[in-house]
Amino acid sequence: MTTTADFNIHHALTAYQRAARQQITGSQAETAPIAKSQEEFGDLVRSAIMEARKIGERSEKMSIAAINDRADITQVVTAVAEAEMTLQTVVNVRDKVLEAYNDIIRMPV
Amino acid sequence: MDDIIKTIRISSAGMRVQGTRLRVISQNIANADSLPQRPGDSPYRRKLVTFRNELDKSVGAETVRVHRLHKDMSDFGKKYDPSHPAADKDGYVQTPNVNTMIEMMDMREAQRSYEANLNLIRSSKTMLNGVIDVLRSN
Repeated sequence: MTTTADFNIHHALTAYQRAARQQITGSQAETAPIAKSQEEFGDLVRSAIMEARKIGERSEKMSIAAINDRADITQVVTAVAEAEMTLQTVVNVRDKVLEAYNDIIRMPV
Repeated sequence: MDDIIKTIRISSAGMRVQGTRLRVISQNIANADSLPQRPGDSPYRRKLVTFRNELDKSVGAETVRVHRLHKDMSDFGKKYDPSHPAADKDGYVQTPNVNTMIEMMDMREAQRSYEANLNLIRSSKTMLNGVIDVLRSN
C-alpha cells in the first residue's frame, strides 16, 4: 500500500482541473500539449484506480481478520472508511472523464 | 499516501491504545474486590498502561503504541474480616490497591482521548469529502 505513496487526492484534483481547463481552451491550443495532458490524465486515473484497489483489498483483509477475532473494530472501520473515500474519488473522476467525452461527442462540428 | 488518510491512520492508532487502556481499567475495576485465597497471598495488584510514540513506516508518521503494562507497586489496603480464609492472625485481610475513584477518572480520560481522536477522523473525512465534492458540483 506504500508503493504509490506519491498519489494524493489533492494532486489528482489539481491535475484534473488543469486537464479540464486545457479541454475548454483546446480549440486554439496545439495538439501536442493536449496529447501530453491526456497521457498524464490517463496515468493519474490508472494510479488512482490502483490505489483504490489496494485500499479495498486492505479493508477486506481487515474485515476478515475482525471476523476471525484478530483485528479490533477501530482498525476495520477506519480501513473501510478509507476504502470508501478513495473509491468515491475514483468514481467521481471517472464520471467527470465520461462527462468530458460526452461533451466532446455532442459538440457540433 | 494522502496526508488526510495518514491522519485517519494515526488517529485510529490513538483510538486503539485508548481501547487497551480502557481494558486495563475495566480489569482493575472488575478485580477491585479480588481478595487472596490463603493467608500470606497477595490480592489483585492494580495494573497500569504506558504509551510510547513509534514511527509507523507504512504511514510515515509517528503513531502511538502501547509501551507496556506494568503493576502498580503501591501498598495494599487492609480490611478486618476474621472469618475470611486469607485473614492473618489479627483478623485482617489484604485488599487490592485499586481505588475505584481513580479508575473512574482514568476511564474518563481514556474516553475523552478516544473522542478527540474520533473527532479528528470525522473532521478529516468531512474535509476529504468536501474536496471530492469539488468534482461533483457543476
